[in-house]
Amino acid sequence: MIGHFDPKQYARNTAHDKDLGTPFPVQSLGTALVNLEIDGITISVPEGTSVLRAAALADINIPKLCATDSLEPFGSCRLCAVQVEGRRGMPASCTTPVAEGMKVTTQNERLAKLRRNVMELYISDHPLDCLTCPTNGDCELQDMAGSVGLREVRYGFEGENHLESVKDESNPYFSFDPSKCIVCSRCVRACEEVQGTFALTIDGRGFDSKVSAGQDEAFMDSDCVSCGACVQACPTATLMENSVIDHGVPDRSVVTTCAYCGVGCSFEAQMKGDKLVRMVPYKGGDANHGHSCVKGRFAFGYASHPDRLTTPMIRESIDQPWREASWEEAIGFAASRLKAIQAEHGRESIGGITSSRCTNEETYLVQKLIRAAFGNNNTDTCARVCHSPTGYGLKTTLGESAGTQTFDSVMKSDAIIVIGANPTDAHPVFGSLMRKRLRQGAKLIVADPRYIDLLKTPHLGEAQHLPLRPGTNVALVNALGHVVITEGLEDKAFVTKRCDTEAYQSWREFIADPRHSPEASEAITGVPAEAVRQAARTYATAGNGAIYYGLGVTEHSQGSTMVMGIANLAMATGNIGREGVGVNPLRGQNNVQGSCDMGSFPHELPGYQHVADPIARGRFEAVWGVKLDDEPGLRIPNMFDAAIEGTFKALYVQGEDIAQSDPNTQHVEAALRSLDCLIVQDIFLNETAKFAHVLLPGSSFLEKNGTFTNAERRINRVRKVMPPVAGKQDWEITQDLANALGYPMNYVHPSEIMDEIASLTPSFTGVSYEKLEEYGSLQWPCNAEHPEGMPTMHEFNFPIGLGRFAITEYVATEERTNRRFPLLLTTGRILSQYNVGAQTRRTDNQHWHNEDVLELHPSDAEVRGVRDGDWLGITSRSGQTVLRARLSERMQPGVVYTTFHHPGSGANVITTDNSDWATNCPEYKVTAVQVERVSQPSAWQQRFNAFDQAQRGYLAKAQQEAP
Amino acid sequence: MSTNNDANLIHMINQIAANLGGGRDEEAAATATCRHLETFWARPMKHRLVANLELEGVEFSPLARRAATLLATRLLERQSITR
Repeated sequence: MIGHFDPKQYARNTAHDKDLGTPFPVQSLGTALVNLEIDGITISVPEGTSVLRAAALADINIPKLCATDSLEPFGSCRLCAVQVEGRRGMPASCTTPVAEGMKVTTQNERLAKLRRNVMELYISDHPLDCLTCPTNGDCELQDMAGSVGLREVRYGFEGENHLESVKDESNPYFSFDPSKCIVCSRCVRACEEVQGTFALTIDGRGFDSKVSAGQDEAFMDSDCVSCGACVQACPTATLMENSVIDHGVPDRSVVTTCAYCGVGCSFEAQMKGDKLVRMVPYKGGDANHGHSCVKGRFAFGYASHPDRLTTPMIRESIDQPWREASWEEAIGFAASRLKAIQAEHGRESIGGITSSRCTNEETYLVQKLIRAAFGNNNTDTCARVCHSPTGYGLKTTLGESAGTQTFDSVMKSDAIIVIGANPTDAHPVFGSLMRKRLRQGAKLIVADPRYIDLLKTPHLGEAQHLPLRPGTNVALVNALGHVVITEGLEDKAFVTKRCDTEAYQSWREFIADPRHSPEASEAITGVPAEAVRQAARTYATAGNGAIYYGLGVTEHSQGSTMVMGIANLAMATGNIGREGVGVNPLRGQNNVQGSCDMGSFPHELPGYQHVADPIARGRFEAVWGVKLDDEPGLRIPNMFDAAIEGTFKALYVQGEDIAQSDPNTQHVEAALRSLDCLIVQDIFLNETAKFAHVLLPGSSFLEKNGTFTNAERRINRVRKVMPPVAGKQDWEITQDLANALGYPMNYVHPSEIMDEIASLTPSFTGVSYEKLEEYGSLQWPCNAEHPEGMPTMHEFNFPIGLGRFAITEYVATEERTNRRFPLLLTTGRILSQYNVGAQTRRTDNQHWHNEDVLELHPSDAEVRGVRDGDWLGITSRSGQTVLRARLSERMQPGVVYTTFHHPGSGANVITTDNSDWATNCPEYKVTAVQVERVSQPSAWQQRFNAFDQAQRGYLAKAQQEAP
Repeated sequence: MSTNNDANLIHMINQIAANLGGGRDEEAAATATCRHLETFWARPMKHRLVANLELEGVEFSPLARRAATLLATRLLERQSITR
């Protein structure tokens, strides 16, 4: 009987903790099964499966060293040799594909002798220090020596060997000990196949072969990005985490979700008691499939950093020292302040900010506290300053505020457009997946003012760069749309069937106007017309066209318009509703998607249900037992304006550092100083906390239970691996505050909060902790119609029925260059640091980026007499700051770039109040500036340093005085 | 009294009107702008904006003024319904 391969069934039956030796043969999807016999056992596997993998699936474990199922087979160690009936010799089972009727023997005298001989050669050049070796008990070489029954090494150890090779300890997180290397090339292949960096190579030939980072450089001096894939792949102690060298092999492991970027990688937190020894990317994680980056894999030390807040603190005014308080006293103090302020200034005088780093359950609870206990809708979240235009733009056009695909979808893309995103730095694990697809031949188009690293990926397809001027995205996307329409590249069948005809006709007429032609927009965007035409043709005709975008799209005065422009382009070319295509926002923080889903925005209840919708609101009122306001509340920038004006008096901030991350710092500081009561719940004394009256010590992701939702709408479990440092998980703190305000909350476990979310949110009705345990993760919508979730959206229709094209008129930003401010500043991220850096600055990631610098083009530097490393004063209409110069040809002349990972850099002192017209998302990406050489920090920086020192002193004093 | 906050609100509505104005006739654009404010703006912001219609020297763009006037009518209607 011929069985057909069912990938779903297969995935469920495959244990993730077992290494099957070679990867699943992707090319075999949908093909017939092959039957063979291994050691007398009959097994059916998909075509293309290796004999090694087939055997492992039948629980026959052939010894192996150079093979692992995350890498393509290599056939170098010869340990996995087998015999096949009717064939000569002893082929390596990792490179031998199965064949119908094949009869394989994996164990007999001849094979055993061969394997012992192979091992004997390996061990003759390997130190025999197993008892003091860091991988003792967790070493594949040791296991294999045991498995093949190696008893003696006849060659002795005196011959030529590598035992005296010098260790490379340049990387802060792992060591490279070449004396233990067996040159299996797993690290080299992992760097190439999994990470796509090609930093490692095998240097020399024959006996001299050795693993080398770059051109025989130290790891830290090479191209290595410290993703850990090589450490993960190494079967010996050659590449080893320093934390394991220091603390020994972990004894238990809990699967949880990374708290850094929006990729949402699954990790095994490997523990010794309460001590987290290492984070190992989890093979069963559907977002990352066992890969990781330097942040998630290694930068977890912040959780146990001495700066962690461990006790609640209170004070009357921000010019006073802190005083340690019990939880009860601090919560009581906060509640009485909030009540008094509302009594004096009215119900709408207070509000709160939910965290895009906390769990869904915690975010849900904060907005519930605000809506139900504060009695207003003054709730907002960090997404305001990053992806709120995505919410507006995608909801308007496609009907749902979320990306349309899974990450894996990129493996079916033929043309990939990346706009205003830098995946290799900001979403590294997805960046690696994209690079893998590019190496298979997909075409790449990058629209970005900078020449980002993705363009340097070695790959088969062509790479097109559209180096547009900051602030001209909409002109560019309109030009792309113009080419699609005027050159007849649209997918008429898709548009007719799936989109609103009237809206399409209006858009078609609008976009066909010659003012949108690439030739006409060249003067605006600076991108040669022919390059735009070429890009539009590539995207529209390659087959599957996918668009990925980041904050370079949203953080503009026309962020929302640009998102709609992208959706127009995808609909017009029929690139929606199947794998390999789609519109994909790359989310910045771990739970930005979740915080938006959970009703953090002032106008929307959980599940994007408008507060003015009486039916939706009624359901919440029934469950929450209170009357809810039917008018939207204030957004973050509106809160600041109202605070400065004196009508907004108190703010509860959960896990967000608005004083560092929001634009026009001096304006934010003025707003925070105007508050009568600022309650900050965070794991550190962040910049915002320095303006606070109540400090509530929060918990890191390692200390709590809950869920995060990543950029592909995937709900992943966060599992508690250690007790909260300050005694409470964040949801418990919010619950206590609600109770103190007289609004009862009595959750015992976050699963109960999720049950409430599911009961009120149509796209979550099928979600429960039980189901998450069963499936590992779920992509919403997950409800009666889609009980297993929905990996690809809009396959048959849009949530609004027909897709709606939007008119996207280009309106130039008001932020213009002139003689006083001749350069454009754009801001972004770097691989090793995360967001405001509160976490990564407290880890060894500092070795890569311990200060923010200003990148500028050599020609801009030359006319100003600036040399690399000079101190530069950067002045905008908002303020001035001083950073070190770094000359870089990644920039185009006239554009300068910096990051905002370090608070003292004051990158946001210069960014302005300009914002997206629809959502008030700040225009971080366009600021007109002038730069000049200076000799001292700016006035703001001097004030910042003084304030910072005073505030740290107030905290230290309270901690010393504590009984 | 017109404050910095008022100036921001005027700036915001002008920007919204400019973005929703393109490709539509003026009435549709004014309706769209008004609907945007109703959907996304907080109650105090709407009332502050409408109060500015009465003041001299406030720099509403023509489309923004029309949208704000429409909003004023809608707010009045709403109040009469709630009463």
